[in-house]
Amino acid sequence: MTRDSIKDLILEIIEDIDEDADFDTLQADKPLRDQLDLDSMDFLDIVMELRKRHKLQIPEEDYPELASLDSCVNYLEPLLANA
Amino acid sequence: MHVPLLIIGGGLSGLAAALRFARFLPDVLLLEKHSRTGGLNSYYYRNNRLFETGLHAITNYAPPKVKNAPLNRLLRQLKIKRKELDLHQQNQSEIHFSNRESLLFSNDFSLFDSEISNKFPQSHQGFQNLLQIINSYDPFKPLAFISARKVIQEQLNDELLTDMLLCPLMYYGSSIENDMDLGQFVIMFRAIFLEGMFRPGGTIKDLLDLLLNHYKEHGGSIRTNTGVSKILYTGKTIHGVELENGEEITCNYILSTIGSEETFDLLDQPSEMELLPRLGFVENIFEIRPETVFSHSQDRTIIFYNTADKFSYRQPDQLVDFSSGVICMPQNFQDLPAAPFKEVRTTHLANYNQWKKLANDSSSYKIAKENTALSSLPVAEKILGNFSRNIVYRDTFTPLTIERFTGKKKGAIYGNPIKIKDGNIGYDNLFLAGTDQGFLGIVGSMLSGVSIINQHILPRL
Repeated sequence: MTRDSIKDLILEIIEDIDEDADFDTLQADKPLRDQLDLDSMDFLDIVMELRKRHKLQIPEEDYPELASLDSCVNYLEPLLANA
Repeated sequence: MHVPLLIIGGGLSGLAAALRFARFLPDVLLLEKHSRTGGLNSYYYRNNRLFETGLHAITNYAPPKVKNAPLNRLLRQLKIKRKELDLHQQNQSEIHFSNRESLLFSNDFSLFDSEISNKFPQSHQGFQNLLQIINSYDPFKPLAFISARKVIQEQLNDELLTDMLLCPLMYYGSSIENDMDLGQFVIMFRAIFLEGMFRPGGTIKDLLDLLLNHYKEHGGSIRTNTGVSKILYTGKTIHGVELENGEEITCNYILSTIGSEETFDLLDQPSEMELLPRLGFVENIFEIRPETVFSHSQDRTIIFYNTADKFSYRQPDQLVDFSSGVICMPQNFQDLPAAPFKEVRTTHLANYNQWKKLANDSSSYKIAKENTALSSLPVAEKILGNFSRNIVYRDTFTPLTIERFTGKKKGAIYGNPIKIKDGNIGYDNLFLAGTDQGFLGIVGSMLSGVSIINQHILPRL
């Protein structure tokens, strides 16, 4: 997957969690949680959707790697290289 | 048979946990001892119609846009659309201390605030201070017991008002006598006074069916009429369960929603928890003709009342204590579709052991049940006006009825007085959710199931 398609994947998952999520002002290098008003329960949905859709098992200690859109892309790029 | 996750108990916390898990991993089996799901909030058929058990009103009402409100978090977690629930807000409710004072409240907090400022002007500033404490308090922090009564009394400096604030919160969720933990008080205050009450347009069966249908669509499995006889384990590691019919099911994780002592029974282990009295209740249902008009309080949804000089929330010495309780009129929610009947439901504190003594003699048990309805009726009529001539059907649940159908020891609907907030009861792969985890009410118990799945099980399977 390209970096852009990984970014789209994450946004698509977030939109699925919260259909009112506002992406217009989203800054890719800032924490997703604060900007989109996501709590830790919502955040787990991102992890679980990645697992469901791409059989990605993300260990708990790596959850902080998914903090911002940029860090998501950096973390997932090698894992989704062949997806 | 092997499943990754086994959930014991198909009440609302078990159903919510099962649905949450099945959204991502469909390999989950839910076991329910009774023929129907719902646990404390279920239903039965009599007199050609469905009667709800448990449900008076659902607390934690929230408008759609308040993202962090418990109700909206729950709906997101379960991927249930708000319109599937068809929410109807309460009209207004009342705290009624006979010959003393009465306070109205609704889902608009300003009503309650102005009632307090009009009727207890000397405590109004103290009430504002109390609100600040409530707003800034984190009830989920694991702390030792702090007496809510003491904190409230310090702020309000008025025993009557302190009792009036505590009465609804105790009746809708306290397993402790005459006091509450401050954290529990904050949760209940927010749920009832700051957020408010509602009910679905359909019956509790519709809500249960909705959850079950979503669960099954995701591939989850359920077995009803399936009791567990023991949990199988070595040391602190669980392997599975043995069912009452002798079948063994192995699993990686168990979530138990049946209560802490009830779970320790299946482990054949002493719970080693301090034994405090478990509070039992009786509930009466009076079905009345739809044209019935009440001379007082016609539109009230719930009335929390007390007739005694001093409000007492404790296990009575006699079978039932009628001096306080809850009167619910389930038709009094906004814009409900017209129904062919009305109901008055009453709830009072009861003594399980006294009822248990009677159980061996079925005729005295029946007479006591009959007397419970007949003694509760005038209490309700004193507040609402006479309606006994319009009664078409009535039924009474004792603590024994509740124990038999819900499996809650001693019919204690709010479970063990000691709550296990993190769901951890000392085993590697067995966790507790539901009433004894400490979230109460329908929204609370469902969030309990969801949060224990999120915290302990989903990330590890």
